[in-house]
Amino acid sequence: MAASILERRDLKAPTDWVAYAFIALFTVPFLIFNVAPILFTAYLSFMRWGIFGPPRYVGTANFRDAIENDHVRIAFGNILLYGLTIVPGVLVLGLLAALYVHNRWPLSSFARVCFFSPYVVSATVIGLVWVWLLDTRFGLINHYLAYLGFDYIPWLTSTTWALYGVSIASIWWDMGLAFVLILAALQDIPGDLYDAVEVDGATRWQRFWYVTLPMLRPVLSMVLTLQLISTLRIFSQVYVMTSGGPASASTSVLYEIYTVAIRNQKFGLAAAVSIMLFAVILVVTLLSRRLLREQQT
Amino acid sequence: MTKSKFTRRGLMRTAGTLALASAFPMPFVRTASAATEIIHWSPLAASDGEIWAQMIQNFNDAHKDKGVSIKMEVVNWDDYTTKVLAAAAAGAAPDFGWNTDPRPAFVRDGLLVPLNELVKNSGLDIADFSEFSISKSKFPNYGGDELFQVPLDLMSLVPEVNTAHVSEAGLKIDEWPDDGATLIDWAKAMTKLEGDKVVRSGIMMTGAGVQPTVTWGIVAEQMGFQRISPDFKQVAVNPDAGKAAMQWVLDLFDKHKVSTRDVTDRYKAFGTGQGSIFWTGPWTLNGYLEQKLPFVSKPFPKIGEKRVTYFERGALELYTQKDPSRHQATMDAVKWLSDNSFLWCTKGRGASPRKSIIDRPDYKTAGAPWDVRGAFVEGIEYATAIADFPIINGADFNIYSGGNFLAKTLELVWAGQSSIDDAMTKLQEGWQKALEEG
Amino acid sequence: MTVLTRFLKSHNMRPADVPIWLFGLAVAALWIMPFIWMISTSFKYPGDVMTADIEWLPRRVTFQNYVDIFTKYKVWRWTLNSVIVVVASTFLCVLAGALAGYALARLNFPGKKALFFLYVASLMVPIEVYAIPMLLGIIKVGWANTYQALILPSVGNVFSVLIFRQFFLNFPRDLEDAARIDGAGHGLIFWKIALPLARAPLIAATVIIFVLNWNNFLWPLLVTFEDDMKTLPVGIAAFTPLYGTATQLEGYAMAMAGVTVLSVPSVLVFLILQRYFIQGISSGAIRG
Repeated sequence: MAASILERRDLKAPTDWVAYAFIALFTVPFLIFNVAPILFTAYLSFMRWGIFGPPRYVGTANFRDAIENDHVRIAFGNILLYGLTIVPGVLVLGLLAALYVHNRWPLSSFARVCFFSPYVVSATVIGLVWVWLLDTRFGLINHYLAYLGFDYIPWLTSTTWALYGVSIASIWWDMGLAFVLILAALQDIPGDLYDAVEVDGATRWQRFWYVTLPMLRPVLSMVLTLQLISTLRIFSQVYVMTSGGPASASTSVLYEIYTVAIRNQKFGLAAAVSIMLFAVILVVTLLSRRLLREQQT
Repeated sequence: MTKSKFTRRGLMRTAGTLALASAFPMPFVRTASAATEIIHWSPLAASDGEIWAQMIQNFNDAHKDKGVSIKMEVVNWDDYTTKVLAAAAAGAAPDFGWNTDPRPAFVRDGLLVPLNELVKNSGLDIADFSEFSISKSKFPNYGGDELFQVPLDLMSLVPEVNTAHVSEAGLKIDEWPDDGATLIDWAKAMTKLEGDKVVRSGIMMTGAGVQPTVTWGIVAEQMGFQRISPDFKQVAVNPDAGKAAMQWVLDLFDKHKVSTRDVTDRYKAFGTGQGSIFWTGPWTLNGYLEQKLPFVSKPFPKIGEKRVTYFERGALELYTQKDPSRHQATMDAVKWLSDNSFLWCTKGRGASPRKSIIDRPDYKTAGAPWDVRGAFVEGIEYATAIADFPIINGADFNIYSGGNFLAKTLELVWAGQSSIDDAMTKLQEGWQKALEEG
Repeated sequence: MTVLTRFLKSHNMRPADVPIWLFGLAVAALWIMPFIWMISTSFKYPGDVMTADIEWLPRRVTFQNYVDIFTKYKVWRWTLNSVIVVVASTFLCVLAGALAGYALARLNFPGKKALFFLYVASLMVPIEVYAIPMLLGIIKVGWANTYQALILPSVGNVFSVLIFRQFFLNFPRDLEDAARIDGAGHGLIFWKIALPLARAPLIAATVIIFVLNWNNFLWPLLVTFEDDMKTLPVGIAAFTPLYGTATQLEGYAMAMAGVTVLSVPSVLVFLILQRYFIQGISSGAIRG
């Protein structure tokens, strides 16, 4: 037995058959409840099916219907718009909050709790609280904006604003994750890097620009990717805040999938849109991975 | 075999394979009992839901010692059809449901139980029902002369008017307008503006969803538009009337400035005095009365050539069970509910389809006061024109929907993102396709 | 003056930092205002809610909203369901994740790379994409509206595996080797040595998975057909104005009481165990 230590370092390690027992408890539910439904979705996207009776093969008709559908088109446009508002919002605010808390000034742990806690509450909370805050006549936001001389903004009821109303709530909800990830990365930056530039008499801004930011680049790229993916799949906020309206102004792809499937029982069409969304997420992920790798080299 | 046994057996089966069930506390496994428990699904969750729950409770109280009870589950409107379909596909449909949709597809697929024989055995007096309500519960294309639904309530959409706003504007509620022009005058008198902005709607609207769609549907029909011709051959008959009605709705917002798109929740907004005239259904009465809102209901004005309003019929329907012996017990329960629907049709929802209930001397005095309830009952006389269509894709034509094909097409018009002409063309094409499926 | 300079010095602050410091605190306080407003509204009389003036502290305090949500709605039942579902699924998910994470980090077996790739790849497909096909499958096997349908799909949460894999990769080999010399198999090593030492990732994974499961929304919404089977977030969602019908007349006071009840468990868990929470999120997500 004692030889095994040497063997493992020098030779190819032996197969641990017991490993399959170890992974079974996770992998079996994973295959049944994650992988199988994904395959089923792919299958359904070529079928016409309303639950009752057998599915009927229709070729690519579902994809054609999806492309021709005004609301699906609007939804794909909207998730890009959401990406353009929510992702920079989360990234910038998360970075600022992390830099602030990282100073370890008095009460910084209070600030940390404040910045992170929205992340742990459920979509239902976000929906209800923000619908109330963004109410045009009686909402807190418009009430204080009025002091600044703004007119009442119909945050959730106008086609111009609805998407931004949902975005504001989403930024508030999602920022916590970016914040803690960046904060953790800040704490990992070795102190002697700063000492080196300190000797050169660098200003605080220079320290940030020449040391902190380059060191944070990997975590920022990662947060960007994570947030982008989670924004492309925005659903719960839309569902509880605006039901996608008015006139699909704040709808998202997943919300359209939900409507098509659950309200109209067009499961084939819903599956086809799902596959299209998956393709978009895949492309975005691969692109951002590539960008990330290029930056590192 | 009772319903509960089935569920339990399903659960036990999985327990064997997953050894997980041991972790479930036993009280949460539905226990089988000797008594018949009839499972009922209903989407009623507004203030009328409380009255319906009372109806079910009354049934259970009356059948305490008879070994039968009803268990009610409230299922969201949005998911109702999908969940019934899904449950039926899995062989676990509820015994009966309350719903307003005509169900040709359900009849075609054998989901609904044909009722003629069961009705006869239960002793329910079909002759007591209005002919119109019975004819709407048969689907000759798919189910011959069989009855598939038992009508429970008939509902019209009429204006509720905030009487405090009326007197504030110096108007007299007895002089309630009967034509479109006067209606707009009233609305203007009651609207409150801040600069150019409507902050209290003379006519309660929303920028999207059900309210503008149903308004369009009613006004269009009044102006002579037909979604489907009576012979079911043609869609969008008299499209110019339909377009004129779209313009009428847009004018409320932009020309007359009596409505704002800026309303999130129309029910809450009317309840808090942010609107003066609100056409809606009787399901709101119970709640507004409890809230002590000063309001009455009035007949729908004649905006077009003829007076018409939206009609909806609530009905009980039986879903096919694995064990057909459950059907008769369920039908007997449905009969009891129908026979005892006086409470439902005076306090809960709408008018009764049954002559014996309408003719009761206390029909007008019981339940909600007549000045808030009467217009809904009388509205039935002219609400018959816009009932739902008994075709497979009937849902695409429904004017009371926030998310169907019609509502989604019109939504773009209300938001100014589609022209009226384009929307009408889209409707014609989409509806034609929908109609072709039968 | 000296007090101030000493204070600044002890916290590594320059005088110019003070405005930034105060501004940051103000922003942090502003950031949790929605919670304060939510709690404040939940203690108001319904008539005092939609008013032109803002009342940060209710002029008149009432507990009636809380009484109402617990008596008029099945909040107790929903809470109970949530607790059963979340405890069971979190336990299974963490246990399964620990085992799989250990195997991926420490054991050699054919297909390991492919399996890890599959796990990571699956992170790209959100559950919302396949929720509806999954629902159909669940219904077909007769599991709609059951606890197992609420619990089992959350077991395969890759997050849990990633946290444990990360931890066990850095796990000192010596301990393991010593046990192997004594003839212990991997099963024994895992139970007796690895798992007891994995306290930090264990707590981290538990906390995170608990919060994720507690907030689960779409799946419970789809798979529960009866009021009695709803979980708390789904039940409370009936108070949302557009989707639900319950608030149409009651207004926001009761809804705010509902969401306050809903937020308490996850916020409490976070506050008590925030150190682990943040550690776990970092180690799990960095590999994602």
